[in-house]
Amino acid sequence: MHTIRFSAILMILLGLLSSCEKVIDLKLNNSAPQTVIEGTVSNEAGGAKVSISLSKKFTDDSSFEGISGAQVTVEADGTIYNFDPTATGVYQNATLVGIPGHTYHLTVKLNDKTYTSTSTMPQIVKLDSIYVVDDELSTNKDKTKLRIAVVKYQDPANVQNYYRFIEYIDGRKEKSLFIDEDEFTNRQTVNSRLNFNNDNDDPAREIRTGKTLMVEMECIDAAVYKYLFSLNSGSTGNDNNAAPSNPTSNITGGVLGYFSAYPITRKTITVPAN
Amino acid sequence: MADYFKPLKVMKKNGPLRFPNLIYPLMKLYQLLSIFFCITLILTFSSLRVFAQSPLDKTITIKLNNVPLKQALDKITAATGVRFTYNEAVAASNIKLTINAKAQSLKQVLEVALANYPYNYSQLDQDILIRYDATKLKKPDAEPAAKPAAAGKFTISGTITSKQSGETIIGASIRLVDGAQGTSTNGYGFYSITLQAGDHQLLVSAIGQKTLVVPVSLTHDQRLNITMEDNAQELQTVTITATQKGARDLKSPQMGVEKLNIKEINDVPVLLGEHDVMKTIQLFPGIKSAGEGSGGFYVRGGATDQNLLMLDEATVYNAYHLLGFFSTFNSDAIKNVSIYKGDMPAQYGGRLSSVIDVKMNDGNNQKFGVSGGVGVIAARLNVEGPIQKGKSSFLISARRTYADAFLKFSKDTVVKNSQLYFYDINAKANLVLGDKDRVYISGYLGKDVLTANNVNGINWGNTTATLRWNHIFNNRFFSNTSFIYSNYDYEIKVKQDVNTYKITSRIKDWNFKEDMQYDVGSDHSLSFGVNSVYHTIKPGEISASGNSGIISQTLETRYAWDNAAYVSDTWKVTDRFSLTYGTRLSAFSIIGPGTYYDVNADGAITNSTHYNSGQIVKTYVNLEPRAAAAFQLNDISSVKASYARNAQNLHLISNSTPGSPTDKWVASTNLIKPELADQFSVGYYRDLAEHKYEFTFETYYKKLQNQLDYRNDANIFTNQPIETQLLYGKGRTYGAEFLLRKKTGRLTGWVSYTLSKSERLIDGINNNQWYNARQDRTHDLAVVGIYKLNDKWTLSANFVFYTGDAVTYPSGKYQIDGATYYYYTNRNASRLPAYHRLDLGATKQLKKTKKYSSELNFSLYNAYGNRNAYRIFFRDNKTDPNKTEAVRTTLFTYVPSITYNFKF
Repeated sequence: MHTIRFSAILMILLGLLSSCEKVIDLKLNNSAPQTVIEGTVSNEAGGAKVSISLSKKFTDDSSFEGISGAQVTVEADGTIYNFDPTATGVYQNATLVGIPGHTYHLTVKLNDKTYTSTSTMPQIVKLDSIYVVDDELSTNKDKTKLRIAVVKYQDPANVQNYYRFIEYIDGRKEKSLFIDEDEFTNRQTVNSRLNFNNDNDDPAREIRTGKTLMVEMECIDAAVYKYLFSLNSGSTGNDNNAAPSNPTSNITGGVLGYFSAYPITRKTITVPAN
Repeated sequence: MADYFKPLKVMKKNGPLRFPNLIYPLMKLYQLLSIFFCITLILTFSSLRVFAQSPLDKTITIKLNNVPLKQALDKITAATGVRFTYNEAVAASNIKLTINAKAQSLKQVLEVALANYPYNYSQLDQDILIRYDATKLKKPDAEPAAKPAAAGKFTISGTITSKQSGETIIGASIRLVDGAQGTSTNGYGFYSITLQAGDHQLLVSAIGQKTLVVPVSLTHDQRLNITMEDNAQELQTVTITATQKGARDLKSPQMGVEKLNIKEINDVPVLLGEHDVMKTIQLFPGIKSAGEGSGGFYVRGGATDQNLLMLDEATVYNAYHLLGFFSTFNSDAIKNVSIYKGDMPAQYGGRLSSVIDVKMNDGNNQKFGVSGGVGVIAARLNVEGPIQKGKSSFLISARRTYADAFLKFSKDTVVKNSQLYFYDINAKANLVLGDKDRVYISGYLGKDVLTANNVNGINWGNTTATLRWNHIFNNRFFSNTSFIYSNYDYEIKVKQDVNTYKITSRIKDWNFKEDMQYDVGSDHSLSFGVNSVYHTIKPGEISASGNSGIISQTLETRYAWDNAAYVSDTWKVTDRFSLTYGTRLSAFSIIGPGTYYDVNADGAITNSTHYNSGQIVKTYVNLEPRAAAAFQLNDISSVKASYARNAQNLHLISNSTPGSPTDKWVASTNLIKPELADQFSVGYYRDLAEHKYEFTFETYYKKLQNQLDYRNDANIFTNQPIETQLLYGKGRTYGAEFLLRKKTGRLTGWVSYTLSKSERLIDGINNNQWYNARQDRTHDLAVVGIYKLNDKWTLSANFVFYTGDAVTYPSGKYQIDGATYYYYTNRNASRLPAYHRLDLGATKQLKKTKKYSSELNFSLYNAYGNRNAYRIFFRDNKTDPNKTEAVRTTLFTYVPSITYNFKF
């Protein structure tokens, strides 16, 4: 269930009053660059990938700045898979294909430091279908009704399930995080909306008739869900949270980032007319 | 004189010296010279007086018939130019003079006029001093048998009410005109004072009322009910040498307390013209606003849930309506507000930082009246009157906003179909049952509704109902018994396509209170009582329908029984030194049915135990000692010191920036311990310029234990027990508060400045280091001025400046899966920019007759439009997503408003 935010309603109504927004210059204290490790293993070839980068200063360019020279391996069922650099900071293994139920151990050796993590790939829960609905409240910048993608799936009964969805509109990946868990939807047929705020009014992020909509559904484990949940609630910079903070990583050693082993299913549709 | 003869005496004793006989004549001459010298001196001085004519010798021709003393003196001044000096009590005397003088000296005139009154006149430089003299009329002790002197002490007690409306007056001062003894009326207008037998004059004063002098002849215990007249205007034009009307009590050991005059509240300009006691108190030192868009406030570095708000003895859980614009207290009908900043007397308990005790009017029991006002976004109406004249009355007070009416004008369909309103209703009735009993029944209902396009909405509200019974056992013993019901709940409704969700939460209290006040002799005043509350807390219920797959859930209801007993004595040790000491004992019992858990350091549940209905899970017993001392240095200054311990068992857990009505109230559990605060404070109080100015300095240190905060990855909307999301620790706050107040004259107002710090140390946050609490505010300044321009216009202004909130800013950024996220280091180590604004206000009296009065009030909030930061957030730049930027949101700049108020 995506959190219903009082603050969202509040902001709509506050917008009616004489409030205004302005970009300002802030002098921020910059910390030393932090290491960021994003590791994934999926049930598809090419899904085994580890990106290692450095954090940047607030005033810097935000783009990915890879770190080379790391030794990356993943161990599974007694086999060690080496990840070779394919670009600066990107390490991949072309053959490792994950199997649901199996556990994967990541080891990264970088600059005399070792970072490890473990993730067990959950069983596959298939994405049944996707469709589009009109939002009751919001509109696009041109005042047309905002349209939202909805995913439909069947949550299994006996396990605690966690999901992540990635939305692609005309091939462009939507950067917002969509995560679900089954605390309130266990064993139900779930229809879940992929709500996000188009805060930069970019038309490429809008769902329009005729565009191609593709959604990937990943089944993730509890630690990865916790990471993504805390990342989304504490680190997006949007000040909805009174106490912004760093997410709870599942990689030991003091890094930002996470390691996730997950199976993927996909669905693609062409957005129909309203 | 005698000294001059000493040498002669010595000579006589010792016999003449063997000096030549010249010495004796010389001494004689010396003696004569001395006498002559003295006489000359006397004559010289008296001749000086003669040459500058004594005011008492001035002649006057005047005819006065039964004119009150002060006016008579004014008329004599007008006729002769001679000024009179007299104190407060004399000015308020109700004796009437009849004078018929033709070219007589003032001395003669006064002699005759004051012959039968206990007043003396005497010359004081070029003025005449009129003094009260109790002994003047005492007949010589010729017949001791006729009137046996009543030995010992007797008690006078009674209720003080307003003559116009019959309302009881809280905090009225009753003291002996010339003595040090005095007391004040309690929350129900009742007073009790024990004095020596004999004749006395009691000086009775209260803010907004005409001061009164009441003569009493005390030979046995008496019941004396007093009525006072309203005194709307107080322009001082006479020389006052003693304590001002309604001056604060320098002797009372009670520290950290502010008493607010409702008339002052009405003059301070506020946002959207809605006069609000909660907004006005934030202009005093130690009490800080939680920011725009929020109605909460922080007292001495404490959180918003650490303030106990009481409306006629009932606890109010959510003190503000819509977005903090309006408080739940309708200022129209408020009689008295007392604010205790942490050193509350033993009868209060349950919150750490403050008690705001609001008492509403009871209803005019003399005549029927209607008053109200219409503002830019809200309207108020007040109807009151007697049910039985002089014996019982009722009051109904209601308010509603109509901001939603403006929404209908919008072209946007979403806005058009939205609702934004609140309403509240206060209804009271009281009945005087004989001399010793009075019964009150009151209720409050308030609700806020915020819905967007009939789709998403939230509504919340408070409901309270109270039944109170005052009983006077005897002259010294007053009791108040209360039965209270209180309910606070909210409901969030969301409709998305085919799905509907409703989330509800509620806290319900049943409360019994017994408070007693007993005066032991004239030096001890005892108060004691019990308080018992049964809480039912429903943390959340989700009901869902549609295809979302969400299963309806109900979080377990929690039950608790909060009991307390207290006893406290105020002891007048000497004339100058008073001590209040006492203690409150609280026992908070968590009761089944319910399941309670054990949780490990990572927030995982390790054990759970189920309790049946009525089973006690745990009881927290806390002893809360309270002590205060006041030492009056002299007529105009005193020092005070106090210590108080408070325990708090209800906690508001909030994760959102502005604080929202959906924040959870959680009771202590087997894991969540009661919060504790120990506060030490010391203060210095001084009246300046003959009591025209009051200067207060208070400094405090508060130690907080068992403070709560959410984990970094906390999920508020979880079904899991709340303890899995919490972390615990401690806090400390300290500061110095300065207040300079001018209460008389055309220009009144105050300057308030607080320098303070508020920190927390929570296990698991900020690497277990002390960090600034969000409410830490180094500097906090407020300057308020109210200027009575003339009979029609009153101008007001207030200027506020404070250090920005302590916030956490990013120290870097990084990419995860192609999106930018921010990296944080220390918690709350940065500051929002300093907040400052100026508000201006003007009130024009339109009509003022006995039957009808009306006024128009203009206000301009944030007059110079300073763009204060409501929040600062970070995002990718719209045009260049590889850049990030900081964005400031400002809420209000230049907000004008007009309000029309009427009364008849």
